[in-house]
Amino acid sequence: MPIELILIEILTLILFLAGNYFLKKTFGRGVSRFFQGILFVLAAYFIFKFVIFPPIPSALLYTYMGLICLVVFLLLSSTDSSWNEFQDPIIKTLEARTPGFKTVRMITFGVFPVLAGIGAYNFIKPNFQEPIELRTVHPAPPGAIQVHGSNMVLQEAKSPFRVDEQGKYSEGIENKYLKANPFDEKAPPYMKYVREGGEIFFQNCHFCHGDNLDARGMFAFAFNPIPANFTDPGTIAQLQETFVFWRVAKGGIGLPREGFPWASAMPPWEKHLTTDEMWKVIEFEYWHTGYYPRTWD
Amino acid sequence: MKTLKKSKKYVSLALLGMMFLSIFSFVLPLLQSTTAVAEDAAAPAGPPPTGKDVYYKTDGPVSGPPAPHLTAQDYPSTKLPGVFGESRLLIWTVAQQHLFFGSFVLAVPIFCMVIELVALLVKDPVASKRYDQLAYDFIKISLTAYSVTAILGGLLIFGFITLYPGVFGYVASLFRPFMHIYALLFLAESGTLYIYYYGWHSMEEGFLKWVHATLGILLNVFGTTLMMLANSWLAFMMAPSGVDEKGQFLGNYAHLLHSALWNPINIHRIIGNMVFGGGIVAAYSAYKFLSAKTKEQKAYYDWMGYIAMFFAVGSLIPLPFAGYWLMREVYAYRQQMGITLMGGLLAWLFILQAVLIGALFFAVVYYLFNGMQRMKGAERYDRVIKYVFFGMTVAFLVWLTPHTLVMKASELKAIGGQQHPVVGNFGVMSAKNGAVNTMLMITIFAFIIYQRANKIITVKWANLGNALLFSMFGVALFNNWWLAIYGYYIPANVRVGLSVPQVAGTLTCLFAGTALNLAMLKGAKSTGPILWGTISNRSQFAMFALGVSFTWLMALMGYIRSSVRLFWHAMEIMRDNSPWAFTHPIGFASNVMSVNVVIFWIFSLFVFWLAELSAGHRDVPSMEDSPAVKVKTTGGHAIAGASE
Repeated sequence: MPIELILIEILTLILFLAGNYFLKKTFGRGVSRFFQGILFVLAAYFIFKFVIFPPIPSALLYTYMGLICLVVFLLLSSTDSSWNEFQDPIIKTLEARTPGFKTVRMITFGVFPVLAGIGAYNFIKPNFQEPIELRTVHPAPPGAIQVHGSNMVLQEAKSPFRVDEQGKYSEGIENKYLKANPFDEKAPPYMKYVREGGEIFFQNCHFCHGDNLDARGMFAFAFNPIPANFTDPGTIAQLQETFVFWRVAKGGIGLPREGFPWASAMPPWEKHLTTDEMWKVIEFEYWHTGYYPRTWD
Repeated sequence: MKTLKKSKKYVSLALLGMMFLSIFSFVLPLLQSTTAVAEDAAAPAGPPPTGKDVYYKTDGPVSGPPAPHLTAQDYPSTKLPGVFGESRLLIWTVAQQHLFFGSFVLAVPIFCMVIELVALLVKDPVASKRYDQLAYDFIKISLTAYSVTAILGGLLIFGFITLYPGVFGYVASLFRPFMHIYALLFLAESGTLYIYYYGWHSMEEGFLKWVHATLGILLNVFGTTLMMLANSWLAFMMAPSGVDEKGQFLGNYAHLLHSALWNPINIHRIIGNMVFGGGIVAAYSAYKFLSAKTKEQKAYYDWMGYIAMFFAVGSLIPLPFAGYWLMREVYAYRQQMGITLMGGLLAWLFILQAVLIGALFFAVVYYLFNGMQRMKGAERYDRVIKYVFFGMTVAFLVWLTPHTLVMKASELKAIGGQQHPVVGNFGVMSAKNGAVNTMLMITIFAFIIYQRANKIITVKWANLGNALLFSMFGVALFNNWWLAIYGYYIPANVRVGLSVPQVAGTLTCLFAGTALNLAMLKGAKSTGPILWGTISNRSQFAMFALGVSFTWLMALMGYIRSSVRLFWHAMEIMRDNSPWAFTHPIGFASNVMSVNVVIFWIFSLFVFWLAELSAGHRDVPSMEDSPAVKVKTTGGHAIAGASE
């Protein structure tokens, strides 16, 4: 996708340069600064709206276009000559000294009020569309939680199954066994836990989180919000392992107030799984995606 | 006569030394072991009970009362209608204004100190006089702002005592000795400021001028120490230390003072204040430029704006890295605070921050290219502008892309998650680090072009120098982008460390690149002088944008830092049980910040106006160099701006 995007941008640039060259050759002058600015804004809109797939959300599109308009304005006014050239058609339209510009002025002053009227109408008319949502994806966890009668301090707790061959806690051990076979009988303890975690995952979690942990399970799109995509670098890779444990154990119902009203539909797995089982699932998720949990040591 | 002068020297030096020692002698005993406090307090009841420090995990004798458990009835209210009845809003506004003016009176003296030292070091007497005048113009404004700060400080204290007596009483009981030092430092700073200002003209010659400049340094030492003490109180509220889990003091003042976030906040604020000082001066000079009546005034205020912008941007460059450090320490202290800030409730405020920072970079580059229009021969660089803006825009698009997208439910389903498969990748820190370093390098590159605008390089090794310069930027950019991509494949704690080599590349471009450029400009042919005062009016609005953006940023980031405690007065030690212990919606908070920014600028205009009242319509210093220096630098207008 990024390669296609870059190719389309290069093609747009070549088209512009070729068009400008043709105009210079035929009429002795290229595209004026004023129209260069308009063309640039339109090209950016076209790329953001139609080339990037899936389409980017409208809120982000407006943000991007706001920036593009601002930059085009800054660029066109950054030197005196460019600024004068940019203003020229605007001033000529306002002055309307020639019949051509008189017509342009009439059209402009006719069209702008109509556009403003349409805009005002659209703005104030009753709207039945779904509202734009700002959802907190990672609400802050509490300092400690109670799971199966035990108190767990989330800042300090560690997975009991993230261990090396000697049984010692090891950060990033998944990297060592990324290509190992969990079904190998001689697999180290860590891979044994990963296999058990995988079994639990495919019995309970894959319906929503997907076979590939990419949130494309068979039930995924029945929910709003859809389940977390663990392959995205912005989910489990950004979080401490105890955060993930908290979410698994307490589910959507255990989210703090800032997570509502768009709370996740995930059940509190502490009611169905043991503490060890939940840790093993988490080990499997990190091993499968190849990500490490966030640590500070 | 000679003996009199000599004795003046010694008296001045002795006075300075005594002032310095008398203030800091109070601090030293506090930083030693202070178990005596506990011994005294608990003497009649035998050995005192001990507690464990919540942060340092050390044991210590309980030496103070626990944090009070307040109820809603413990929070007096003003009974004003609507949101004005919210005590928190009143405290927020007064504290914000106090902070703005506090930063103003800390920042402008830093600016004055640097400018006065430049005046002392510049060889051209005319230019030296001009710098000196610039510094004097600003310390005068600072004097009025100092009074406003003190009044606002008084209002803040009254606000705390009347509206939050429980919280204030607890914090004051812990930090009592430091509050006394704070008051003494305030006195010392006031005294130094008055001597610094009123003694400006009587201390403008010879050795006394150096004493005066030293007073400027002392003024800043006092000011910065004051700020650090105030920082320790807010750092304690965010990340308490020196107390046990009940909030009882354990007798160690060093632990109390040196909480987990104290130093990152100190560094961030010092740099932030320098940026703020430059921003205020830039806005002031823009205002003066636009209202100037004569050519001379236009030239002087144009130059003043350039110096202020240079100072602000020079200080701005390390600021993002200080910010990263602070956020890293917050995250390391408590993951819930880090998540609330960067991925949770307050995350969208960081997008607003990104927009404001982006606006700063664009304003600076825009100003520089507009500034080149006042130099003959700079036209040859006009074609570079579009590439600079293009690079900045791409980096900025990455910089402002949020991790959590605001969208409709249908858009959410179409995308298949909260993260977009293409632009969603730009929402993470790795991409942001790459983007901000790219923006910084492009800004540095624009400045290097600005330095060359009216010069033709004549050194024999020009080609080699240019190749070196381009290679330096090329390698730094490649290193930056490669590390940004590599950051997606490694753990978060290692990724944070990658910002160090990225920053190293950027700083190399800044220091080595600028030094190399200056070496190449040695003996360069000038295509014409800088015609101060001929810059476009458009550029001055960029200067306003600079000042206002800084103010807005301070309000925004201050709010983020403070509200991350959510419903705690002192994190996990003292709960906020007031009726206002909730987090405002982003829109409401943004409106409060914006109103505060407007109030501050109205106040600032008043301060500027007051300074004008006493000055009348005096002449501005000449922008012409002295003839002797002119001859010396013909064909070698070596440092554009720095020598101007």
